[in-house]
Amino acid sequence: MVGGFSILLWIGAILCWIAYGIQYSNDKSSSLDSVYLGSVLALVVVLTGIFAYYQEAKSTNIMASFHQMIPQQALVIRDSEKKTVPADQLVVGDIVEIKGGDRIPADIRLLSAQGCKVDNSSLTGESEPQPRSCEFTHDNPLETKNISFFSTTCLEGTATGVVISTGDRTVIGQIASLASGVENSKTPIGLEIEHFVHIVAGVAVSIGVLFFVIAVSMKYRVLDSIVFLIGIIVANVPEGLLATVTVALSLTAKRMAKKNCLVKGLEAVETLGSTSIICSDKTGTLTQNRMTVAHLWFDNQVFVADTSEDHSNQVFDQSSATWASLSKIITLCNRAEFRPGQEGVPVMKKAVVGDASETALLKFSEVILGNVMEIRKRNRKVAEIPFNSTNKFQLSIHETDDPSDKRFLVVMKGAPERVLEKCSTIMVSGQEQPLDRSTAQTFHTAYMELGGLGERVLGFCHLYLPADEFPATYSFDVDAMNFPTSSFCFVGLLSMIDPPRSTVPDAVTKCRSAGIKIIMVTGDHPITAKAIAKSVGIISANSETVEDVAKRLNVAVEQVDKRDAKAAVVTGMELKDMSPAQLDELLANHSEIVFARTSPQQKLIIVEGCQRQDAIVAVTGDGVNDSPALKKADIGIAMGITGSDAAKSAADMVLLDDNFASIVTGVEEGRLIFDNLKKTIAYTLTKNIAELCPFLIYIIAGLPLPIGTITILFIDLGTDIIPSIALAYEKAERDIMNRKPRHKKKDRLVNKPLAVYSYLHIGLMQALGAFVVYFTVYAQQGFRPSALLNLRVEWEKGYVNDLEDSYGQEWTSYQRKYLEWTGYTAFFVGIMVQQIADLIIRKTRRNSIFQQGLFRNKVIWVGIASQVIIALILSCGLGSIVALNFTMLRPQYWFVAVPHAVLIWVYDEVRKLAIRLYPGSWWDKNMYY
Amino acid sequence: MRRQLRSRRAPAFPYGYRYRLDDQDEVNQNYLADEEEEAEEEARVMVVPDLEEEEEEEEEEKEEEEKEEEESQAQETGSAWWRKWQIVNEYLWDPEKRMSLARTGLILVIYFFFYASLAAVVTLCMYTLFLTISPYMPTFTERVKPPGVMIRPFAHSLNFNFNVSEPDTWQHYVISLNGFLQGYNDSLQEEMNVDCPPGQYFIQDGDEDEDKKACQFKRSFLKNCSGLEDPTFGYSTGQPCILLKMNRIVGFRPEPGDPVKVSCKVQRGDENDIRSINYYPESASFDLRYYPYYGKLTHVNYTSPLVAMHFTDVVKNQAVPVQCQLKGKGIINDVINDRFVGRVIFTLNIET
Repeated sequence: MVGGFSILLWIGAILCWIAYGIQYSNDKSSSLDSVYLGSVLALVVVLTGIFAYYQEAKSTNIMASFHQMIPQQALVIRDSEKKTVPADQLVVGDIVEIKGGDRIPADIRLLSAQGCKVDNSSLTGESEPQPRSCEFTHDNPLETKNISFFSTTCLEGTATGVVISTGDRTVIGQIASLASGVENSKTPIGLEIEHFVHIVAGVAVSIGVLFFVIAVSMKYRVLDSIVFLIGIIVANVPEGLLATVTVALSLTAKRMAKKNCLVKGLEAVETLGSTSIICSDKTGTLTQNRMTVAHLWFDNQVFVADTSEDHSNQVFDQSSATWASLSKIITLCNRAEFRPGQEGVPVMKKAVVGDASETALLKFSEVILGNVMEIRKRNRKVAEIPFNSTNKFQLSIHETDDPSDKRFLVVMKGAPERVLEKCSTIMVSGQEQPLDRSTAQTFHTAYMELGGLGERVLGFCHLYLPADEFPATYSFDVDAMNFPTSSFCFVGLLSMIDPPRSTVPDAVTKCRSAGIKIIMVTGDHPITAKAIAKSVGIISANSETVEDVAKRLNVAVEQVDKRDAKAAVVTGMELKDMSPAQLDELLANHSEIVFARTSPQQKLIIVEGCQRQDAIVAVTGDGVNDSPALKKADIGIAMGITGSDAAKSAADMVLLDDNFASIVTGVEEGRLIFDNLKKTIAYTLTKNIAELCPFLIYIIAGLPLPIGTITILFIDLGTDIIPSIALAYEKAERDIMNRKPRHKKKDRLVNKPLAVYSYLHIGLMQALGAFVVYFTVYAQQGFRPSALLNLRVEWEKGYVNDLEDSYGQEWTSYQRKYLEWTGYTAFFVGIMVQQIADLIIRKTRRNSIFQQGLFRNKVIWVGIASQVIIALILSCGLGSIVALNFTMLRPQYWFVAVPHAVLIWVYDEVRKLAIRLYPGSWWDKNMYY
Repeated sequence: MRRQLRSRRAPAFPYGYRYRLDDQDEVNQNYLADEEEEAEEEARVMVVPDLEEEEEEEEEEKEEEEKEEEESQAQETGSAWWRKWQIVNEYLWDPEKRMSLARTGLILVIYFFFYASLAAVVTLCMYTLFLTISPYMPTFTERVKPPGVMIRPFAHSLNFNFNVSEPDTWQHYVISLNGFLQGYNDSLQEEMNVDCPPGQYFIQDGDEDEDKKACQFKRSFLKNCSGLEDPTFGYSTGQPCILLKMNRIVGFRPEPGDPVKVSCKVQRGDENDIRSINYYPESASFDLRYYPYYGKLTHVNYTSPLVAMHFTDVVKNQAVPVQCQLKGKGIINDVINDRFVGRVIFTLNIET
């Protein structure tokens, strides 16, 4: 991630060794200092590398669990024997048997099928079960009924089929290979860090080379110049930053994992924060992926049912006698049953045997009426005609639970128009009324209205058989149809939909206010897609599509100005005929877009189209069909519960609770970490100047070296590490969810104001402060600043053992060396003290520290404590270790830099105040990073 | 899962299977071909300056924009230089924004004031620092104590290699010593300094800023090593004189009654390599009257006391390592890291 730095440090290390080599060849007794330094640098590179790898690996490990799949078994007929073999051992031509609940082990062509239905939602996005038979019905393999696909599930029935392709050659395999063909592009934060590394490396190399040239032209020895170069590189490279950034990201990753966003790659943590377009799959992501009763129509009125996850709040009028009849039909004319042994489970979570619509009706009635099984027991079923596609209705005959009423009750449900055909009366407020033209008209209006919402509508009717014609002993024969199937009484309509998750509309609104455009991309029908889009707010209530505008103005679609329509619903067929330019235009001109009936490739095209708009694109999805798009997206988000393994492995992030609202959390955390990384980097960069200046002054003014390379490493990798991580815990300054996502190319992590302010303002102040401490130490020991000028050459001569100071005292070379180390320690302490101030000012970028609260982020104080403690340990405990170049420091020197620290704080408060007072001014533009 | 399914895009779809997938593959490819051109166009179209952007960046962007335009037009019009001139011109004076080089100037002025005030702050700090530091007496002297030791003649090296019969090999020692002892000439010392009573500190109370008198240390105290009788300091006879001086430390006082003594011996090897050494002054010590030292500013004429070692009988034609140590109370001469504190080690290699 921060590879550029590693290279610089390697160069530094190698230069160290080269310098030693030259030294050694001149003088066999030369000190090993530069060898130590080189080794330390190499160690730093290796350790930070290992650390980053370890952090990455830790977060990837969580994902590894997803890859563990139970080996799939298949029941295959070979040599006229039924055998169970692992699915990966199937070959083309094998005959396999499938029953309800099985995963299809390969792409198969059906030879025979009994009531077989498959769930293709992971492949096509259709949430309804698809019937399968052995007839060839369509040229398109995805549409024809006689092919079932690898990895889809058989919901009910049984089937036998011949394997036509396996492994990579299956449709799923092709999609998966399409996904693996999509190259992984760099994450936005990766790019930002690269940009930052370029800046810092550029500064380091150019200053290094500049001063190398200056040093050489000032007649320094080349060897010395190389040493300067090393010092400049070490001072310029923030050695600890790689570790810090990694830790900060993994902290956020952990925080997000707690909120059910599992992030695979650490860098993806931030991506969601800069996302400007979310392409969301519909089924299972925005919706609950289960059919649910959404509307009822009876007594000439439409009632809305509660479609939230627990159904708890059914508020429609249940006092009408019509409802009593309707509820009875719903309860009785239903073959679905709860699986046994689920007493404690909430109704909505109970497992059900039966198809999606019947399940929906069963749960609906269970919630409203209570124990459905008991009601069915009381109204014993005597005969039944199950639903089939030719009849398009389902019928059953029951005894009534009223002991005095000996009549049989015939209940029927089915396609509304077919049901209505069989009716002669209609029930209004519990009274049967003849079905005349006007009532038929209201029925049609309601039917069309519900259908227009993208819902699947069912009609319900009943008939009480006269007791004299059909006595209790009457034997019903469903084949002979020895009972009336007309002149029913129409009771009502019920419509079902795969409803949006209750948290989605709110999440969509939040994303909207955060400036994120949400595009729905689904394999489902346009009408359903549009209805769901409207209900969750992807198409807002007052916006229209081109078609809507045309309808309102009563003109042809072609005559409508496309710019009038905010929303657009585009099908896969339309998309296929579009040129990329047209797609771009579409994406740019409409803020609310729904793509329906799209294929995996088209999803990919849509994502690429969005990326062409310079947007950072997030894709959510759960199916295999989403996986190429998930991979192509800047950040792919898969659903953890319903998501297929292919989707999860292609994604960068997994929502463990399948909750779209978790994305909002992710966006928030991502934006926060971006801001906080800015703060961390600003904090880390600042002291670089304070570390660099000593070298420059040393070269130019000839002062004894104010700070050693090893000491710099102790700042970068010692005192500064915990504080810079602590900034990752900082809370947001303003409502980050109310601002636009950052522009990929304009809002950089490290921008000019940040670099200028850190380097040329605070950094310089720090350097000056640290120099004051340095001069104080030297002056109090006898060397006044004037005496230090150009003293370097004499100072460093080992054989001069009576160097005079400002008071005429004479120093041996080791005494000078020791004083020099005291100077290092003093400079180090000076930087450390001012870094405390730097840490505090970096808590905010705009607000005053007092607005943010000095004590809200406790970790900052841990950081400050760590800084002081490490510095104390270094100067007191380790002062005796010669190689570290630390010495004991008088207590008063610790406070010399305090006024400068206060000055830094005050200056930054003034800066922030001016920014707040004069937004948009020159100051704001140049001083707000 | 992924590993299991990853493929080399294996085709071979039987039964017209490729229908849908293939179709779109083609679309995809066409689309990819267009993509690059498209992206370029896009880049040009998309540069819409954001209001919130920095002015400077905006300007840069503008420049970039213009550069791009320039690039696209350069081939057609061939007026690249003219365009460049315009850009420079615009930078100097942008009529629309009424901004110019003056703004760059303004920034410079702002920075100038910023740094000037920073400099003022630092100057203030340093000024207060100097207020607290006496010019006569260093605040702390613990780093320079205990005193170091240095010898004369000294020319970059502590190895005295010379051939008695070849004056060229030792002449520079003589010159060096002569030069060093100029300040100790009897006439000069008598003129500038006072003759103070030996065996006790020469304490001069009074104001800090008062000029202090210095005790005489005459060249003649060094007798045979003074260079007065033997102008070659014994080098011509193979009996070299080496002067030893203790580093000056403001306020340093040796223990009373026990002056710091010098004693030299062979550092390693046969002790008898040096058979005799004469010390001048004969006490081989630094008299107490030369202490304390009051600092360069007031103790102007202070002359460091010396002890001359006259190696009268040293084994010839072999390197003899010699260690001269200071001895006395409060003197440390065994610091491992510092070989010049309280001692000095040098080698004598006198050839005949």
